[in-house]
Amino acid sequence: MIPLQNNPVGKIMIVGGGIGGIQAALDLSESGFYVYLLDKGPTVGGTMAQLDKTFPTNDCSTCILSPKLVEIAGHPNIEIMTFCELLDLEGDPGHFKAHVQQKPRYINMEKCIACGLCAEKCPKKAPDLFNTELGKRKAAYIPFPQAVPLKYALDPDYCLYLTKQKCGLCKKICPVDAVEFEQKIETFDVEVGAVILSPGFELALTQKDGEYGFGRYPNVVTSLQYERMLSATGPYEGHLRRPSDGKSPRKVAWIQCVMSRDISRNRPFCSSVCCMHAAKQAVLTRSHLPESETVIYFMDVRAHGKGFDEYVERAASGYQVQYRRSMISQLYLNPQKDNLIIETFDHHLNNTQEEEYDLVVLSSGFQPGQGWKTLADRLGVSLNPYGFACGDFDEPVSTSRPGVYVCGVIESPKDIPETVIQAGAAASEASTLLSNSRKFLKTDENKSAGEETDEGKDAEHISKVGVFVCHCGSNIASVVDIPSLLSEIEKIEGVALAEDLMFACSAETQDRIAERIKKHGINRVVIAACSPKTHEPLFRKTLKQAGLNPYLVDMANIRNQCSWVHAKDPKTATAKAMNLIRAAISRAEKLEPLTEETYEIVNNALVIGGGLAGMTAALTIAEQGFEVHLVEKTERLGGFARNLTHTLEGHSPPKLARLLEDRVRSHDRITLYLNSELSEHSGYIGAFKGTITNEQKEHEISYGAAVVASGGKAYQPMEFNCGQDDRVVTQVELAKRLQKDPQWPKQLKSIVMIQCVGSRSETFPWCSRVCCSAAVKNAIAMKEINPDIQVIILYRDLRAFGFKELYYLKARRQGTLFFRFIPEETPVVYDDGGDLIVDFTDRSSHQEFRVKPDMVVLSEGIHPVSDNEKIAGMLKLSRTPEGFFLEAHVKLAPVEFPTAGIFLAGLAHSPRFVDEAIAMAKCAAQQAVKILCRDKMKTSPTFAVVDPDLCSSCLACVRLCPFGAPFINEDGVAQIVPAKCRGCGICPSECPARAISLRHSTDDQTVSEIDALLKKASLDI
Amino acid sequence: MNLAFYPGCSLEGMANDYARSIIAVFEKLDVGLVEIDDWTCCGATAAHSLSDAMSVVLPAKNLAAAEKMGLDIVSPCANCFNRLTYSRKMLSKNIYDVPWNVTGKSKVHDMTRFLAQPDMISQIKDNVLMPLKGLNLVSYYGCQMVRPPRITGFTDYENPRTMDHIAEALGANALDWSYKATCCGASIGLGRRDIQLTLSARLIQKARQTGAEAIIVSCPLCQANLDMVQTEKGSQKVPIFYFTELMRLAFEGKACSIKNFRMHLTDPGPLLRKKALID
Repeated sequence: MIPLQNNPVGKIMIVGGGIGGIQAALDLSESGFYVYLLDKGPTVGGTMAQLDKTFPTNDCSTCILSPKLVEIAGHPNIEIMTFCELLDLEGDPGHFKAHVQQKPRYINMEKCIACGLCAEKCPKKAPDLFNTELGKRKAAYIPFPQAVPLKYALDPDYCLYLTKQKCGLCKKICPVDAVEFEQKIETFDVEVGAVILSPGFELALTQKDGEYGFGRYPNVVTSLQYERMLSATGPYEGHLRRPSDGKSPRKVAWIQCVMSRDISRNRPFCSSVCCMHAAKQAVLTRSHLPESETVIYFMDVRAHGKGFDEYVERAASGYQVQYRRSMISQLYLNPQKDNLIIETFDHHLNNTQEEEYDLVVLSSGFQPGQGWKTLADRLGVSLNPYGFACGDFDEPVSTSRPGVYVCGVIESPKDIPETVIQAGAAASEASTLLSNSRKFLKTDENKSAGEETDEGKDAEHISKVGVFVCHCGSNIASVVDIPSLLSEIEKIEGVALAEDLMFACSAETQDRIAERIKKHGINRVVIAACSPKTHEPLFRKTLKQAGLNPYLVDMANIRNQCSWVHAKDPKTATAKAMNLIRAAISRAEKLEPLTEETYEIVNNALVIGGGLAGMTAALTIAEQGFEVHLVEKTERLGGFARNLTHTLEGHSPPKLARLLEDRVRSHDRITLYLNSELSEHSGYIGAFKGTITNEQKEHEISYGAAVVASGGKAYQPMEFNCGQDDRVVTQVELAKRLQKDPQWPKQLKSIVMIQCVGSRSETFPWCSRVCCSAAVKNAIAMKEINPDIQVIILYRDLRAFGFKELYYLKARRQGTLFFRFIPEETPVVYDDGGDLIVDFTDRSSHQEFRVKPDMVVLSEGIHPVSDNEKIAGMLKLSRTPEGFFLEAHVKLAPVEFPTAGIFLAGLAHSPRFVDEAIAMAKCAAQQAVKILCRDKMKTSPTFAVVDPDLCSSCLACVRLCPFGAPFINEDGVAQIVPAKCRGCGICPSECPARAISLRHSTDDQTVSEIDALLKKASLDI
Repeated sequence: MNLAFYPGCSLEGMANDYARSIIAVFEKLDVGLVEIDDWTCCGATAAHSLSDAMSVVLPAKNLAAAEKMGLDIVSPCANCFNRLTYSRKMLSKNIYDVPWNVTGKSKVHDMTRFLAQPDMISQIKDNVLMPLKGLNLVSYYGCQMVRPPRITGFTDYENPRTMDHIAEALGANALDWSYKATCCGASIGLGRRDIQLTLSARLIQKARQTGAEAIIVSCPLCQANLDMVQTEKGSQKVPIFYFTELMRLAFEGKACSIKNFRMHLTDPGPLLRKKALID
């Protein structure tokens, strides 16, 4: 990707507001571009917003997604365009004209304050699509409480006014006159430089297909419906019930590969993620209902991701989830109980078994959504036969239309982390293309949050607290007795003003608050309303507008924590609200004005590792105009790819390595250090310092960000006589032999491949992800040269996920024989008087076999390189027990570390395919660019500070800090680098000398808050 | 409107009840059946499993004859329907030399789907003299009529509904059950009679569990198989009707004689008398 020179438009359109679109939007807006984020629905959030928990950490999906939603909602460089669809695209990269169609919301976005009155009073019910039609919502609705933008909409298919010109109640009662029945479909053009398509997917299973009685039997649900059934915000409020009678299910079954790996439905590919979400759902079911029995019917357990096998193992042994290897063809209904009967064949007993279940979950495969094909055709984006826009091996997120990129499931079925990685990669492509139109991010406005105010003096003054109590329409006011609260608040010493507001968050109210602050000389503010998570930034801005330091506001969440959860008990809700407000006032009195600091950024990067990932990362950063130091410990570039021949799909990794090497060597912004290692590293995000050492000399360098791409290595097997018998080789060796001597298979009669060598074992529990494909690839290659050769693959689970399944199918059609074994019955390889013998037991037929192959090929796994330990120590990065690097968050921060400014790519993260490593490198590089494209770095004012007089230099903070922020300074006491501190609060609470305090959460502030909370509620209404 | 009628061999033999009911029913409907002159074997017996060429060429003679008549074909037997449809589809690929000219202009209808079209359903309703009130039945489609869907064109092959719609038009209660297209075992009867009996006996048992008093079918082989198993297992409880037999019953009312069901092994008399549908 070479940046355009023709003054391109520095704006990007992202189509689809799921996690992929959101991540790409954040990456681009933080890289100095303006983003239009389109979604055809009323909100962004995508499928991830519908999920209950996520594997393998069982994190709440909403809890990890919501912060991202909040971030894009308030981002000045992101324009969210809901109900919008891209119709067509004219022009060339850098200068596209996008035709957009916007369907009406029938609610004025500017006016709507999301009070919810319209939905509350709306008389018409409609199927709740967010809850996968398992429940009803009103025709006036928000899809889910965390929706962004948080604006109501009218459903034109159900609204009585829009369908029959009747009702119109919402228009009459809307307090801000936001209902606009007259809105029409609009089309308009937007100038953009690049487009990212992230439209996501839908389940391939529909009621029309009738598969397994879905849509016919009430207790057969899809995997996505089951997510909603598990969710606390779902139709059953987190109490697991079955649809037919609302009873808790005792026995639940999952059927895997529904509308996946199914040739008769023309869906021969694997949907990649269903094995893991079924395991997760079964685990959650067992925790919801410990009495329940859970059974997963499957063909292969495809747990090919980082730590996935351990999760499946934990599901099976820790949660007693039963795994039964069987492809179920049909479900039978027991008409008496609405139960479902599953019939399987038992190999041991040699007969059929019937089992009855209360509920059956169908793990449906994915397909592109409605309208995608039309859009792709119009845009000139070519698709594979199943409608996916598969990227190339070396450009995994590019499409056939230059300047148009893809990410997420629309590229190929994938899970959340791989989607996030591709989103970052797509952002990097657009960012590189439009590099010359980047608006470098200025941090000036934040330089001094309250510089022009007199808040410095304020701290000495007697506090005058202004308390504003929000009605939130009727949200709070209908439960909490606000007049009583106000009269009670007025009695509290230090309160200068107590006032109620209909909507504390509406735009005109901000002016009113600012005016009151000035008029009454208020120097501390308490807002009793909703969550600070969503609204504190707004009120901080208002304080600034009123000339106060923005950190002098505190919020009491009397909506979520009082009126919502205690809606049936107004008295208690009011008493609790009073307590929360009292605590907030108490804390507010102790708040101190805080100032944000800034520092200069070093605008270049360090990349560790010169393999495919490292070279890609270096080029991605350098093409965008930043200097890169690329360190490679060996004498040559290319890493492990140099040892490979070709991929399953027929591409050549060594050729790609050579191409990248040429580009790296000729790039004038990349400084290459071969035979070199990073020997010292210090500093913090934006301002690192390090030393690169090679045999001759040392180079002192400084860098604002670093990418770790230290690679992986092939496991060197000692098993199965490998190394002693030259007829026993590895897949990599076999591939090389085939490349050197293409006719060689003609001399062979029989070959046996053994999978999972050095993977999924006691010593190394991970799946190496790529070895199944390597075996299939070499089997196909040999069969193509010599169709008569017998190829036997001994495997445990054949993990040809996504479209790799098509090659597995091809290998089977060519006659390659697949036999499954279990670890307890590992095949035996030995020499019998010169004959190579393999003995194995096939688990499907329970037969024992003996073959005399010419060769045995071992599918060796991918292991971490030993250098990781040293790099981890120096850069203070954490690793998994296996020795791969551990990312900040497995789902949403796959290329980040807890230590800011350092990023992760390629095999150093986990075993992966070339295209996945390339995408990851681009994503990691873009995270670095997000830092480098700023002039200054801002530090959060809420960092921990050490009182040097109290510090006893015990090192507790130094050892405990996950971010490496504390160090022992020249005076021999601990000091915390504000730029590294994340304000997590570990060190202040652990410091035995109580020498550390966290600004904005000081002991003083917290204790006074607690004291106020513990005072007996004086409000007795 | 006329249709080229391809009865197939079964309807001349063991499924003669079926043939007679079809002719009686179509006399009342606004559709004429014109039997294809000199029709020949559809290839459903041994031909298709031994030779793909034979399976394409054998039915082609009948397809060509229908084209000459300028009519679409209707096939009551599920097997014939499957073979004719397969042949018609394969002929368009021009793989085999065929001595007859077949352009594909004559479509092949299976009888249930033809009669379940909305306008035919309303004709059926108009002709009902005696609604089959209180008759609880399940419909059984078997394999050949609905599968493979790329040949038969059934989109709801997991849950076919054509005979259910017809039964409801006649006033009967068509109950839903899970075994509409589950194997009846007829195909394996020669080799493994034990499996055949297990499979077909299960269908009878499940139909009874669902609350059905009778099963309606369109395939002569299914009919024979489900009928016979009740004799062999010694409990003749559930009559197996061709769906057109019940149409005739509803159309003719008490004028319909029990003799029309003379080839049934499980005597439908007791049930029909209990429901007061026959004297």
